[in-house]
Amino acid sequence: MAREAERTDAQVVRDVLAGDRDAFRLLVRRYGDVMFEHAMRMVGEHDIATDLVQDAMVTGYQKLRTCRDRDRIGAWLFRILANRCRDHLRAARRRPMVSLDRASDIPSGGVPDEDVARKETARQLRDALDRITPEQREAFVLKHVEGRSYEEMAAVMDTSVASLKMRVHRARESLQPLLAEFR
Amino acid sequence: MNDDLHRYLDGDLRSDGLPRSERGEAEAWERLLDAYRAASHGSEAPQAPPWLEDRVMAGIEALPEPRLWSRVLVWLLTPRPMSVSPVVLGAAVAVFAAVVVLPWRGVEPVPPMGGGAPPVRAAAVGDVPVVYVQFRLHAPGARSVAVVGDFTDWSVEEELSDPDGDGVWSGRVPVRPGVHAYMFVVDGSEWVTDPDAERFRDDGFGSRNAVLAVPPPQT
Repeated sequence: MAREAERTDAQVVRDVLAGDRDAFRLLVRRYGDVMFEHAMRMVGEHDIATDLVQDAMVTGYQKLRTCRDRDRIGAWLFRILANRCRDHLRAARRRPMVSLDRASDIPSGGVPDEDVARKETARQLRDALDRITPEQREAFVLKHVEGRSYEEMAAVMDTSVASLKMRVHRARESLQPLLAEFR
Repeated sequence: MNDDLHRYLDGDLRSDGLPRSERGEAEAWERLLDAYRAASHGSEAPQAPPWLEDRVMAGIEALPEPRLWSRVLVWLLTPRPMSVSPVVLGAAVAVFAAVVVLPWRGVEPVPPMGGGAPPVRAAAVGDVPVVYVQFRLHAPGARSVAVVGDFTDWSVEEELSDPDGDGVWSGRVPVRPGVHAYMFVVDGSEWVTDPDAERFRDDGFGSRNAVLAVPPPQT
């Protein structure tokens, strides 16, 4: 059997479908970090991000046979995760709650002023992101937080560059009021 | 925000291409984005926890074991290299034509299914003809219902609606002619097999897809 690094994604998928369930570990190793990063940027909470990635990976395993382009299994798994993240944000809007991760942003005694100001800015930006649509937030995060080009985003999300630009532009318009303190 | 500023932030315009009046605004945006990135997760990208791999595999292990006939079906459907001599191949084609193809000429297309509804309208997306299929699921209490299948690349793109709140979610979805597997996704995470479908296909991974046969649109 070829060494891990030499096995293409398509070969790994073929092995899994042929009954080698453990080969799926290789896909988790290859794409777990990038998927977890996206989930964290979207939902901001470690435990929820982990659950979403696990759910997306298990669903990807269950539906593996339906993946058409096996050389791009990473993008396919990422799209399943992106759907999960958007659904989570939609559901979370209906049941507002205080998260522990976000509660940790609340300034406490003994924290340097600069850190407090920085965290306050991050909190304001997250609050603003919570008010835009999940699709706009996703596009904004991919572009400005994960630092992807529009072409990369279009390839991963299977949508057009024009549509993604429109979502990012709308997100920026929503964040415009926060800009005053950075001038 | 004006278009030049958007183009700059999109990476389509260099900072020296911006009008002077916009440069301060552009720098303010850079500072805001830097502050967010630094404050939200520091300079390093968040790393998946080391136990994620084991947890995913445990989730996979917990899936129901496929039944024997299902495993046989998977084995039969898995492509594998074969060597066949031209003589044997020609004989096989001749037998297939004589026994299978010729007696079935003129067979009617399989009637469509999918929530029990017929295709309602033929149209074309780009150059590809499609048939609009009415999907329907009784899911009282659901917050969202989507139909996913090989025709959506198993992505949640086609959401159904329940405007009158009676728990019956429905929607028309463009589907290319052919035989397709599909499922419903309730509340974004619960995969539900269409209980009204007339045909099903075990996916070999512990669950069952509904099967939809869509005939070509009539011209």
